[in-house]
Amino acid sequence: MTSLLILQDITVKGRSQPRLDGVSLQVDAGERIALLGPSGAGKSTLLAVANGLLTPQQGRVFWQGETRARSGRARRRQQARIGTLWQDLRLIEELTVQQNLNAARLAVWGWPRALLNLLMPLETKACTTMLQRLDLDPTLLNQPVSALSGGQRQRVALARLLRQEPQLLLADEPLASLDPRLADELLTLLLELASPPRALLLSLHRPDLLSGFDRVLGLRAGRLVFDQPMASLEPGQLEELYAGTPVA
Amino acid sequence: MRPAAPLWVLLPALIVLPLLALLPGISHGGGWELVGQFAAAALRPSLDPIVLGSVLGGLAVTAGMALLGWAGSLVLGLVLGIASSRVVWRTCYGSAAPASWIRRLLAIPRSIHELLWGLLLLQLVGLQPVVAVVAIAIPFGALVARVVSDLLDALPTASLEALRCGGSPAPTALFTALGPPLLPQVISYSGYRLECALRSATLLGVFGLGGLGTELRLTLQSLAFNELWSGLWALLAVMLLLEALMGWLRRRWAMPARLGLSQRGVGSQGQEMVAVAMALLPVLALVAWRLEVQPATLLQWQGLPPLGAADWGAVAALPWPSLIGNTLLLTLVAAALAVGLAPLLLLLATPWPAAGALVRGLWALGRLWPPPLTALLLLFVLQPGVLTGALALGFHNLGILGRLLLEAAETSGGNQEQALLTAGVGPRLALLYGRFSGLARPYLAYGAYRADVILRESVVVGLVGATGLGSQLLEAMSSFAGDQLLALVLAYALLTLLGEDLSDRARQWLLETPHGDGHPQEAGGTWR
Repeated sequence: MTSLLILQDITVKGRSQPRLDGVSLQVDAGERIALLGPSGAGKSTLLAVANGLLTPQQGRVFWQGETRARSGRARRRQQARIGTLWQDLRLIEELTVQQNLNAARLAVWGWPRALLNLLMPLETKACTTMLQRLDLDPTLLNQPVSALSGGQRQRVALARLLRQEPQLLLADEPLASLDPRLADELLTLLLELASPPRALLLSLHRPDLLSGFDRVLGLRAGRLVFDQPMASLEPGQLEELYAGTPVA
Repeated sequence: MRPAAPLWVLLPALIVLPLLALLPGISHGGGWELVGQFAAAALRPSLDPIVLGSVLGGLAVTAGMALLGWAGSLVLGLVLGIASSRVVWRTCYGSAAPASWIRRLLAIPRSIHELLWGLLLLQLVGLQPVVAVVAIAIPFGALVARVVSDLLDALPTASLEALRCGGSPAPTALFTALGPPLLPQVISYSGYRLECALRSATLLGVFGLGGLGTELRLTLQSLAFNELWSGLWALLAVMLLLEALMGWLRRRWAMPARLGLSQRGVGSQGQEMVAVAMALLPVLALVAWRLEVQPATLLQWQGLPPLGAADWGAVAALPWPSLIGNTLLLTLVAAALAVGLAPLLLLLATPWPAAGALVRGLWALGRLWPPPLTALLLLFVLQPGVLTGALALGFHNLGILGRLLLEAAETSGGNQEQALLTAGVGPRLALLYGRFSGLARPYLAYGAYRADVILRESVVVGLVGATGLGSQLLEAMSSFAGDQLLALVLAYALLTLLGEDLSDRARQWLLETPHGDGHPQEAGGTWR
């Protein structure tokens, strides 16, 4: 089976030292991977390379066995298979929940549907199902995102991610600004959703939330210092990973 | 079915459809060859030393007039702005009522376009360098006054109240509490007014008040397109330099952007700002000396041709409904063109950097190219009338709105757009959904204000004829029909005051964000 993501010897230069320095890794379907590391270790950079936002100066990226496509259309098709949950959610405040959910389909929709969605939101049934799946009230569909509570926004962002139907889920510290209850809820949901053929690569700061993951990566100063099954992770490795840096 | 925010910004562009249907009807097609020659001459501007010398001389006069008019408007605006501020009156006098009266009075000079001031003064005192300066200073001053008083009244008053409770005298408390937060906003706005003053000084030149505008009109009318382009390129260079300088200073002094959506810090580096202001004083004095600006000449009125007895019957017999109707139609068409086309062009050009550069170039040309000259150029191929005037004004304002939209797009909505791009959404749809959603309200609010400006500006395309009040007014002026002139200026003033009120209401409605956390004052709330 083809891996969802392969990074080979990735280097991203920074001002004084590389943000990523020769990082290689592989993500297969069904894997739930936690990416750990102190602040400034390069976690966000690694995720930005993985979702195509950043082109590395060295190394190669393969998405489902393909390198980055040259034509815009093919590249967009590749990127549509990778979904990112942003820490700041990046919902479009002025649009309704339904229009936000449908924004995830814009990669496959043409202009007529994209414009029509701004006039009268489309695919109500699919959007309703998505909200129900995330325990959200379907009457929220017509609400502007700016009217939602913090917890509802998290779930809408997750619903939008799923509506994109990606195979690889990337999440950049999605739990960082949440209270413990919301953080637990969101993590449980993410882990549930990352079942085969999907995979999850999630960066986080809190080693106490690792129990649901299959595999764990340790990143420090742009280098991958460990990549191993969760079960074999030793407490000493974590101490070493964060040694001399504040655990935020 | 309710259109969502990103569609709002595109809807005005629908005006293009009826326009395309109507254009063949007003086209006479006689001058396509001339238009071709004009376009081709862009690449071959005249480099003749005599032409270049005259261009540079004209440009210096225009820039000088703009600088002096701008400085005058700032002094006038600051004084009158403080005098018409509610918080100042309330603190010093205990009641804000006088502020409201002064505001109402200031609406009158503001409602009359600088061109009208210029032409009226020209008739009174003859062609003097001071005419253009004062013509810019009066309406701009009244405008700055309104912005200054709006800004003052919108500032938080907690520190002012604290100082007053501590026993500080009113003027000291006002200066200490409100001065520092007001200064960066006023300086940022002043920079923008200088750009406007340069455009206005060029425009006044087109109507014979001297400087590069006069050269541009003469070269256009004598079909000397190569010489015309020498002037245009020089003007473009100066305008872009000025815009770049103002943008740099705004960033350096961390001042609020005109259509910024994010909260910016209060400006820093106050000493540097004051030093720059001080350095401007000798420059202004030198410019005034070189241009031979003598304010005393304003008091020496020239002999006017004998005015006939007022014929109010003839004034009443003017076709008022059609004059007003045409003026409003011209305003609406020009505003819809400018407001709607800017986002549409940005959207169309987005995937291609070369197309983006072309659109920016087109907007820069639109901004600097005075609308009456566009109108004259359009007359080569179109018949005179409302649509021709609207196209000319629309093109000019498209340049202004386009730049503003671009500035705003660069500072807001980037995250949402990026999120969509990484999810495989195409660049145009990512721009539409990601950036235009957040920009829609403040952009349209600015568009509403712009429509109000266009109404005032409609007089400048009056020279293409049949454009409503504008052309009638220019006719009354050239035939010394004092009674008609008075009635038309009053009608214009009333109409623009009404327009200002409507545009204010539209802006307030647009900037009311029930759920969002927008900052109306920053989001184009006060910018003029």
